[in-house]
Amino acid sequence: MAFEKKRATSKQDIPTASLPDIIFMLLLFFMVSTTLKEFNVLVKFTLPEAEAIEKIENKRLVAYVWVGKGDKIQIDDSIIELKEIGEIMYAKRQSIPNVIVSFRVDKDSKMGVVTDIQQELRKVHCRRINYSARFKS
Amino acid sequence: MVSFKKRKKNPAEIPTSSMADIAFLLLIFFLVSTNIDVDTGIGLTLPEWTEDKPIEIKMGADRLITLNINEFGDVLLNNEIFPVPRIRENLIEKIRSKIELPAEKKLVVSVKTDRKTNYNLYIQALDQVKAAYFQVREEYSLSKWGKKLVDIKDNSPEEKELREKIPITISIAEPEEVK
Repeated sequence: MAFEKKRATSKQDIPTASLPDIIFMLLLFFMVSTTLKEFNVLVKFTLPEAEAIEKIENKRLVAYVWVGKGDKIQIDDSIIELKEIGEIMYAKRQSIPNVIVSFRVDKDSKMGVVTDIQQELRKVHCRRINYSARFKS
Repeated sequence: MVSFKKRKKNPAEIPTSSMADIAFLLLIFFLVSTNIDVDTGIGLTLPEWTEDKPIEIKMGADRLITLNINEFGDVLLNNEIFPVPRIRENLIEKIRSKIELPAEKKLVVSVKTDRKTNYNLYIQALDQVKAAYFQVREEYSLSKWGKKLVDIKDNSPEEKELREKIPITISIAEPEEVK
């Protein structure tokens, strides 16, 4: 008995028309999952430089406080008064319990304003802070 | 007579196999061109807030190092004017000698600033303190596990041991009442 090889009669192409869609889905996934929250920084500041700096791996935990020239304090997208900090940070800690407050302070500022902010933060138990600094090269 | 032949129908197809490559190129372009800036800085934990006056804890002079930075830009290490770039080497010796001591005998660095102290100077001084601790930790991990500090993962037993042996205790002094 002769064995005959069965051959498929249909075409042997893999349909590639949907490949770009799959790749576009990938692209969209990456675009959505990366957090690129840009803030409208309203204050002027230059960060200090330091050597022994650490990276904040989890950006979602970070809340920023800017202190610019003329001791202007900015949180989120608006310039605020010192006494408002407590309230805002309390709300932030409600949504992110282990929030890290990143201080982006102009290097020519005085410590007075920084100390004041720290005192306000301590009152609402936001105790993890980070003095933002650039790497000294 | 000219015969009008009906043209044979060709299925009109656009080659789509290269579309995926184009999309890939786009993906790679976006991946490369977005610069995700990493937040870097000096981490610190503030002391807990107390309504009433903080309890004064007497500490031996061998444990406590005070770092005062006043409004004129002088940095005082244990009440002596000290150049900022040399704080690190001064501290390293002290941290190193306390690695094997129990937790209640480890070094505490108390940083105190004035309201008019320059912020940059404060960061430079704090940086020196941190750098000293990091250097001792690096030496310890290199000699014990042959690992660099960056290769030690968070929450690993090595990291826990480092924290236990060389804890970074930087105390931010309570600001004085404004007179």
